[in-house]
This record gives sequence, structure tokens and C-alpha cells, in this order.
Amino acid sequence: MPDKEMVYAGLRQVIIAGDREKALKVVEEALRGGFSASEIIEKGMSPGMKEVGERFARYEIYLPEMMMAAEAWEWAMKVLEPKLLEGGKETKKVGRVVLGTVAGDIHSIGKDIVGAMLKMVGFEVYDLGMNVPASHFVTKAEEVGADVIAASALMSTTMPQQKNIIDHLEARGIRSKYIVLVGGGSTTEDWSKQIGADGYGKTAGDATALALQAMTKKGAQL
Amino acid sequence: MISFSEIVDRALNGPICAERDFELRIFVPNLRKVVEKYKIKYEPQNPVPSDNDLADRVWEAGMEFLVETGLYCVDTERRILFTRKEAEGAIASGPRGRIFGEDKDARTVPVRSPEDKTAPFCSVGPTSAPMSTEWIYLQAVKAHAIGPFTDAITIPCLTVVDGRPIMANSPLGVEGSIRAVWLTREAMRRAGRPGMAIVNGITTASRSQEHIAASQFGIRKSDALEIGTVHEMKIDFDSLNKIAYCLAAGISIFGENGIIIGGLAGGPAGVAVVGAAYNPVDMLVLRAAVQHPFPTHFDLVVSSLRESIWARSVLNQAVTRHSTLPVVNIGYSAAGGMTKMLFYEHSAWCIASVASGGSIEVGGAARGVGLDYTGPIEACFASEMAHAVAGRSRQEVSKMVQYLLTKYEDKIRTPAVGKKFQECFDLATSTPEREYLEMHREVRKEMTDQFGLQFTDASPYL
Repeated sequence: MPDKEMVYAGLRQVIIAGDREKALKVVEEALRGGFSASEIIEKGMSPGMKEVGERFARYEIYLPEMMMAAEAWEWAMKVLEPKLLEGGKETKKVGRVVLGTVAGDIHSIGKDIVGAMLKMVGFEVYDLGMNVPASHFVTKAEEVGADVIAASALMSTTMPQQKNIIDHLEARGIRSKYIVLVGGGSTTEDWSKQIGADGYGKTAGDATALALQAMTKKGAQL
Repeated sequence: MISFSEIVDRALNGPICAERDFELRIFVPNLRKVVEKYKIKYEPQNPVPSDNDLADRVWEAGMEFLVETGLYCVDTERRILFTRKEAEGAIASGPRGRIFGEDKDARTVPVRSPEDKTAPFCSVGPTSAPMSTEWIYLQAVKAHAIGPFTDAITIPCLTVVDGRPIMANSPLGVEGSIRAVWLTREAMRRAGRPGMAIVNGITTASRSQEHIAASQFGIRKSDALEIGTVHEMKIDFDSLNKIAYCLAAGISIFGENGIIIGGLAGGPAGVAVVGAAYNPVDMLVLRAAVQHPFPTHFDLVVSSLRESIWARSVLNQAVTRHSTLPVVNIGYSAAGGMTKMLFYEHSAWCIASVASGGSIEVGGAARGVGLDYTGPIEACFASEMAHAVAGRSRQEVSKMVQYLLTKYEDKIRTPAVGKKFQECFDLATSTPEREYLEMHREVRKEMTDQFGLQFTDASPYL
């Protein structure tokens, strides 16, 4: 078996570099070398993702590096997930998030950053894109069994659409099933409270921390 | 210059490409390649560089990036590509300054270059600030319109109409947009500036139908609509529809380039290059009379950060040394109204823009998102600072910016909240609080003592 630390370092590095082709190659080599899928993820790839998140928080890297690291992770997982299932294990996910920019709003950079950061910390993210009607958030959340609905709005005139999502959840009698987080340029803590959201993230880092806290709280309640 | 119809044709028939592939397989590698090839490097210690060679390299990098990358139409999932000759054709035949406003209130957006003595065009206003009532909206616009160097108005955003919250893309969005134009015209009349131009028609509107509807109720040919790409080098049909309308109606366009520091363009060096690449795009696609870049930080959402000031300065220099399309920068500061921090922030990014060949659109306080947060005196003062530094060297202005940065840089994450407009102005008499005037006088004196800047006595806020 190849030197373990060397292999872990290589895995960490391809995630940090965001090289999806190389990530696939290194993961396949590690599997051939006798490493299990779970140790590849836990000892190699996860520390790489953690470092990417930390560098981003220090403004040392930006959105493209985050997106590429997340993509390298996703490509590697295409090979690793079947192996985990074969071994009777499933990928550990912190939780599932349905994410999008609300109807009438076409700003997506902030939402993209939040999505990449959520993936970094282990969430399964369903990104619905921008200009997403309120009902679509709810339908998708029901379809995938989401834990969190995260809605972004940059403009003061699109903020009411965040309230609309909560209205739709209430109309279907499923409000308590989901943690609803709001964010985006125009939103504030006061607004979040006013519409009955479960949290407000001023920055992408705040949003990720809130989602993690909410999952911890949810876990404690279960 | 190639026609707008040709652009639409390319949006409909250009090479098919998935959006993620455009971002990560085309945009990012092409940008990284030119940033490295042309050795573009962010220099935090010098927020307003005096390096013409750097400016020229940024320009070359921008042109190369544009030709290799093109634009992306999100509705058709196709690329809109240009040749270098087409970009050069746009630059050769593009606008060379434009007059906005009417009669005695008409003002020229001039073609400027770095260290130019030509006075900058200053649009001043509660830039995109959400306003809670029509009365506050009207009084806030008026308070900016009476500034001696207010050449045009950058309007705020009305959030309610007849007591109902405005929802974009709804009938309330249409009515709110119409109401905002009407209120702005009335505010300018009350300020004695009835012919003044609105340059950011129409903040309350988000989609094309709201823009077009509101344009029927008070937007003039001497105003401008601000139309931009949806993200870095991406456009959608809604923006193209607005352009089609403006071309038919004869309304000028400010070509918005909202480049995010920390977004797809990466850090300040990439942002400056993308800003240069936007110059021909603004003419070819947005059919703009003015380039309107505003590098903004992804996390802090302000333009007064050191990184943002550097990127803006370098892209302005690159563009104004090679193109006659005038540049007007817009910016958002972190602090709220009636704070010294807001005076310093507005002043820092405005003087950097002016020394680097640009004009300004100033007034965005509290990141442009605090309800009723706007600082008319800070914005008007920044326009006076902009005039005071016209013709000064970039080196001198860089030192001024560094001084101003020391006043607020460490507070940018937790800025001074300040006061709402109605807390620093008497709404009945349209007069500012005594303390606010005193703060203004102190900052003016400080700028004169520190840098020898001379101001007129024309300000109504002395």
C-alpha cells in the first residue's frame, strides 16, 4: 500500500486545486491502492474542503476556487458513493438545503457563494438558480426531503418574495418541517423576524454558520 | 459599429454552452491567463497607482479576454462572440461625451483621462436607498438636488405605494416605478432644478416592463436608464429588452458593470481586467453612452474598501487612456448618514475615480440597503471633493486616499450606523440638524488643513 500520508496529502491537494479530472484520477488510484472510500473522504478530501473554506473566509481565494473545489468533490463522489453503498455506508450529509434567488430577482453571485460554502461544510445543496417562484422552493423541499430552505433577495422590491415562501409553507401546513433562512443585499435581521424566518445571514459565512446551528438544534429536537 | 440586431442575432444563434462551463471552463481560465500574461498585480499600498504601463497592460489584457471569452446569454445558453476588429470598431465610432438634463440644468458627461483638469460630472442622490414613504423620498431627493455640484440625480428606491409593500414584477412594481419618477421630478422642481437629469432610471423598477411603464410617466430623452449585464459577462433577454426599448425611444443608457470582488473575476487584478473588457461591451451590447463600473466587495458590499478603490482606479485609467466612452463610477459606502465615516468613505472612492479619469455617481450610504439611510451632506461634500482634486496628480490623490482609509478601514465591518434621513433633517423645513452642519464644517476644514484643498462657499450646508 502506498504511503498513507502521501495519498491523503494528494487527495487534499486536488480538492484545494479544484481539478476535477485529477481528483477523479487520484481517487481511483487510491481505491486501487487499497484505501477505503470512507478514509479517502475523511482523511483526504474533507480536510481539503475545510482548508478551502478557511482560505475563502480569510479572502485568500474567491468564488471560482470555491466552485472548482466543490466540483472536484462532486466528481470524486461519483466514484466513491457507490463504494460506500456497497460497504453498507452512506455519505454523511450534514443536511439538505434548497437554495435559490427569489422570483423577480436575477442576482445570483451571493447565492452561489452561499451554495459553495454550504457544500464545503457537508450540506447536500439543491440550487434552484435565480428568479425562483415561492412554490418551487416548497415543492423542491418536499421532493428531496430538505431540512433548510435558503432564499436570497438583493432588491428591496423582491424581499416580499421571501415572505411569500413562508406563506406557501403555511398554506400547505408544513411550515414547521423546514428551517427558513433569508439573506441578500437588502435583507436585515429585522426583516427576517418580521416575516417569521428562522434566521438571517448578513454574509455567506453567517448563512453557513446559521444552517449548521439550525441543524444542530434540529438534531437535538429529534 | 456592428448593429444591435446583429448582437441579438448572435444571442439567438451563437455557440451553445452550459452556464457552468462558461463560468469555470471559459471565463475563469481565460481571465487567469491574461492576468498572468500581462503581469497584473494588486498593490494594496498604493490605492491610486500612477503607472501608465500598468493601465495599458490592463487594457490589452481586457481586450484579449473579451475576444476569447465573449458574453453569455443566459436565456439562450449561447455565447455572443466578438472579433478584436469589432471591439476596435466600437471604440473608434463610440460616444464622445453626452449632455444630460434640459435647459439651464443640462450638464455634460465629459470624456476625461487620468489627472484631467476637466471638472467631473457628479450625479448625487440617495443612490438606490430604500425609502419608507413618499414624503421622505421626495425630501431626500430634494436635499441632494440643491448641492452646488449636483449635475444630475441618482434616485432612491420607493418601497411602498399607498401603504402596500412594492413587489417586483407585480402591478405594484409598475405603479411604484411610475410614482418614483413623478416624486423625483417634483423634488427637483422644489429644489429649483426642474431640468435636471435622472441618470439611474428607474431604481424602483426591476424588470423591463416596469422600466418601460415608468418611462411613459416622466422619463425624458435627456435622462438615462441604467442597464447592465446580469453578472460578469452574462446578459439576459430582460436587459436586452430594456436596451431595445431605449434605442427605439431615444433614451441614453448608462452601461452598468457590477463586477464583484470575490466573484467570478476573483480579486482586484481580475476585476480591473474585466472592467476594461466591458468598455467595448458597453457600446456593442448595452449601446451605452456612458460606462458605469462599480467594483463591489462580495461580502461587505461596499466600494470604499482598499481593494475596490484600487480596482476602480486601474480600470478607469485603462479605459480612459484608450477609449472615448466616458466613465462614471458609482459606489456604496458602509456607514450611515450624519457620520464622519461616511464623509471619509465617499470622499476616498470619489477622488480616486476622478484622478483616474472618471466622473462620479455618489450617495450610496449604509451599503445602499438601510431603510431611509442616506446622507445628503456627505454626498454633496464628496462632489465638492471630486471638483477639488480635478487636475491633481494620481500620486497626490493616492496619499489623500491612504489618509482617508486610515480613518475608516478598520471600522468597515462594523461601520457607524448613523441616522436615518428623517433623524438628521427636519422634514417640515428641509433643513439639517445643527450637529450635522458642524460635522460638515469640521471635515471641510480637515481636508483643507491636510491637503490644501479649496472649496467654494456655494454649499447650502455651511
